[in-house]
Amino acid sequence: MTILDFKNVSIDFPTSKGVVHAVTDISLSVPEGRRIGFIGESGSGKTTTALAAMRMLAKPGFVSQGEIHLNSLGKTDILNLTDEEMRRVRLRKISYIPQGAMNSLNPVMRIENQIWDGIIAHEGAVTDVELKRRSDVALNGVGLDPEIVGPLYPHELSGGMKQRVCIAIGVCLDPDLIIADEPTSALDVITQRHVMQTLRDVQAKIGAGLILIGHDMGLMAQSVDDIAVLKKGELVEFGPVRQIIETPQHPYTQELISSVPLVGGESFLDPAPATPAEGFKTEDGTPLLELRNVTKRYGSVTALHPMSFTLDGEVPKIISIVGQSGSGKSTMGSLMLGFNAPTEGEVLFKGRDINRQSPDEALTFRKEVQAVFQDPYACFNPFYRVNHTLKFPFERFGLSKGADHTTEAMEEACRAVGLAPETVLGRYPHQLSGGQRQRLIVARALMLSPKLLIADEPVSMVDASLRATILKNIHDLKDRHGISIIYITHDLATAYHVSDYVMVLYKGHVVEAGPPHDVIGDPQHTYTQLLISSIPWPDLDRDWGSPDDARSALEGLSELEGQQEAILRGTIPGFKLA
Amino acid sequence: MADQNAAAPETAAPDVSGLTKAQIKRMKRFDNPWRNPKLIWGVGLLLSIVALGILGRIFWDTEMVFTGSGLPRQAPVGIENMRGQMGSWAHPLGTDVTGKDILALLIVGAPNSLYVGVLASLIGMSIGIFLGFSAGFIGGRVDDVIRVGSDVMITIPPLLILVVFQAAYGDISLTIMAMLIACFVWQSPTRLIRAQVLSMRESGYVQMARLSGASTGHIMFREMLPNLVPYLFGSFIANVTTSIVTAVGLEVLGLGPQRVPTLGRVIYDAINSGALIQNLWWWWGIPTILLAVMFIGLLLINLGLDEVSNPRLRRL
Repeated sequence: MTILDFKNVSIDFPTSKGVVHAVTDISLSVPEGRRIGFIGESGSGKTTTALAAMRMLAKPGFVSQGEIHLNSLGKTDILNLTDEEMRRVRLRKISYIPQGAMNSLNPVMRIENQIWDGIIAHEGAVTDVELKRRSDVALNGVGLDPEIVGPLYPHELSGGMKQRVCIAIGVCLDPDLIIADEPTSALDVITQRHVMQTLRDVQAKIGAGLILIGHDMGLMAQSVDDIAVLKKGELVEFGPVRQIIETPQHPYTQELISSVPLVGGESFLDPAPATPAEGFKTEDGTPLLELRNVTKRYGSVTALHPMSFTLDGEVPKIISIVGQSGSGKSTMGSLMLGFNAPTEGEVLFKGRDINRQSPDEALTFRKEVQAVFQDPYACFNPFYRVNHTLKFPFERFGLSKGADHTTEAMEEACRAVGLAPETVLGRYPHQLSGGQRQRLIVARALMLSPKLLIADEPVSMVDASLRATILKNIHDLKDRHGISIIYITHDLATAYHVSDYVMVLYKGHVVEAGPPHDVIGDPQHTYTQLLISSIPWPDLDRDWGSPDDARSALEGLSELEGQQEAILRGTIPGFKLA
Repeated sequence: MADQNAAAPETAAPDVSGLTKAQIKRMKRFDNPWRNPKLIWGVGLLLSIVALGILGRIFWDTEMVFTGSGLPRQAPVGIENMRGQMGSWAHPLGTDVTGKDILALLIVGAPNSLYVGVLASLIGMSIGIFLGFSAGFIGGRVDDVIRVGSDVMITIPPLLILVVFQAAYGDISLTIMAMLIACFVWQSPTRLIRAQVLSMRESGYVQMARLSGASTGHIMFREMLPNLVPYLFGSFIANVTTSIVTAVGLEVLGLGPQRVPTLGRVIYDAINSGALIQNLWWWWGIPTILLAVMFIGLLLINLGLDEVSNPRLRRL
C-alpha cells in the first residue's frame, strides 16, 4: 500500500534565461511506513520534488506535467485541489520539517502555542485541556519534557531541541507522510545522531511514510530504507539502501559513495612525491608560528583557554584543528591571521608578535600567511570579475613583473588546481559554481606562495563530490609547494586523511592531540570517542546504535564539563604542543 | 588533474525552445538589467525638462521673462481669455498679469528648480557617504556621535528652519538655497550607508581584501563602494525629489530667490496676483504640470533602479 505516488512529474522554472527544467519525469512511490531518502547535490531537484507534493514550490516554479496522488484522498490529484483543500492537507496529511529550525519557529511564541496553532487550524475549537494534552504527547514523543520545554521561547532552546520541536509540530496531527528537508544540516554530529534517531522513532510509532532529503550518503545509509539518487532533475537510481550502497549501478551514485571519506579507509590523496618540497627554515631555529599562552575572551565567555604551541616550517605539514561549533577553532584561525588580538598571550610569526608590527612588517606578514575561508560564495566581490581577487594581492605584494606576468601566473595557478583558465578567468563570480570558486581561492593562495596557510572549513560548503578534489589541491600545496597548513574542520574523516597532526578542541580546550592514526583511529578521550561514534558511515554493517545510545551520548557530553585534561598521544617533529 | 565536473553547471541548463518570439524578446531585455523600461521612461522625462531648458534658450527669447514683454493676461494659442482676446503664437503659453511670457518663464524656471534639487542632493549625498563610511568603518565614539546626530536631525522639520532662516536673510541665490536644503537631506543616506558598511565589513570579500594587504582606502572605495552604487543611486534620486519639494514649498511661500524665475516662484506670483479668481489657469497650471512630470520621472527612475539592483522585483 503506497501513501504517495509521483507519476511522471516534471517541474519547470521560467527564468529570464529561459525555462529551467528543474525536475524531469520522475515517477516514485512512497509505501506506508517506509523511509525514502532523496539524495543529490545542490540544484539536483530533490527539495523541489518533495515540495511539489505540498504544492509549496517557490515562484515561478510549477508542475508542468504529471500527477501526484495522495492515497488517503482517493483518486484526486493533489495538483487539482483548491487552495482551501490543499491547506487542509498540509500538516494533517503531509507535514514538512524544515532545514533551519532556528528560522522556522516563531520567536515571540511559546513552544506549546506553536503546536496548538497547527491543531486549531485543522480541528477548529479544541478545549485548552485537550490542547495541552496533545502538545504534551507530541513533545514527549520527541523526548522533550513538556513541563519544562512547553512554556519556553525558541531562543531558550539549543539547536537540537529546536529541531526536535519542529519534528513534534510535524507529527502532532499524525500525518500520512513526513517530508524532512535536511533536518540536521545545521547540527553537529552528536546532536545529529540524536535528532535523526528521534525522527525515526516517531515516524515508526505513527507509521507514516518519510521522505528524507539530504546530501550525505552516510546519514542516508543510517536512516532510510530506500534511496532515490537525483542528478540535474532526473532520477538516476532508486532502490533499497543496501543495494544502492553495496552495488551502485549508476556512475553518479558510485561517485557519491566514493566521495565520502572513511576513517581507516582508502586515502583519496595522491601519493606523496619522492622528494617533498622544501619548507621554510631559519638559521637560529625560530619557529614559523608560535602561540604563547594565547587566550581569547568575549566578555565573560572564554572562547579559547590558554594555548601554546610551536610550529616550524622546515618540513611542511598539515595540522588539523577539529571541533564542533563553539569549540573555539575558528577563533584560533582568526587569532593566527591577526584579524583578532588575543586577550592574553601573544601570537608570534617568525619570532615577531603579529599584533605589534609596523605597516611594512604587516604587509610581509600578510604575504606569508594566507587563508582559505569557508564560504566560497562570499569571498569574491560581486562587482568585479574573479581575476580581481587573484590579481590584486599579487600586484599588491609586488610579485608581479608586469601585466603579462600576472596573467601567466594566474593561468598557471588555475591549471595547478585543475581548472581550465579559459573557463573561469574573466568571468563574474555568480557565473561560477561553489566548487570552482573555492578552487580559485586555493589558486590565489598558491600564486602568493605563502609560508603558512590557514584553511578554515574549506570544504564544508562545497558539494560532496568536489570535496575530495579540493582537499587534494590543498594537500598539494604542502607536498609540491612547501606550504605549512593549519586545517580547521569539524569533519574527522577528512582530517584523518590529510593531516600530520590533529588537535581535538572542546569548549576552548585541547582534549586530545597527536598523529591522526592514534587520535582518530583509536580515540582515548570520551569526547573524541563520542564524536567518532556519532559519525554516520555509509556502511550498513557499521550501525549507528540505538536511540538510547544517542541519548546517553548527549548525557555523556554534559558530564564532560569538569574534565578537561588533554590527552597527548605522541608527537611529530617540528610541532610541539605545550 | 583536470576534472570535468568542475566546469559543469550544477543545475539543469535553461531551455529556450517552445517560446514565442515576443517572449524571447522580453527575456532578452533581462540580459541587461539597465534596459529597464521604467528607468528609460524616467530618464526620458527628466531629459525632456533639460532639453526644454537648452532648446528654449536657443529657439526662444529668454529676455521675455521680464515685465511688459507682451500684452498682459494672454491665453495660450487658440484659446480666448476673459477679455475675448485670442492667444497668439507670439506667446504660445500665454502671459501673466504683468505681461511676462510663460514659456520663457518655464524655459528658465524648470531647469533652475531641477538644479536646486540635484545640487542639494549631491551635497547631501557627499556628506552622507563621508559620515556613513566613517561611522560604519571607524565605529566606537565616532559612530555614536554620527548616529545620534543624524537621528536627532531627522526629527527636525526642515521647512520650519528654512522658513525662519530665509525670512531673516531675504533674497538668496539658487546655490545658497541648495546648500541650505542639503543640510536636511544627508541623514538618510548616512544611516543607509552606515548600515550597509557594517554588514559588508564582515563579508568574505572584505576579509579577503584585508588578507591581500589592502589599505583602508582601498577596502572602502574599491571593494565596498561599487557594491553600494545601486543604493546610492536610489537614495540620490529620493533626495532630489525631497529637495525639489522643499525648494518649491519655500518658493510658493514667497521665500527663496526673489529675482530668479523658478517654477515655485511662478506659482507664488500666480497665487499672489489672484490668478485663480481671474481664471488665468495657464499661469499656475502649466508650471504645476511640469513639476508633476519631474516627479513622475524621478519616481520612475527610482522604481527602475530598484528593479536593477534587486532582480527579484523583475517580472517576465
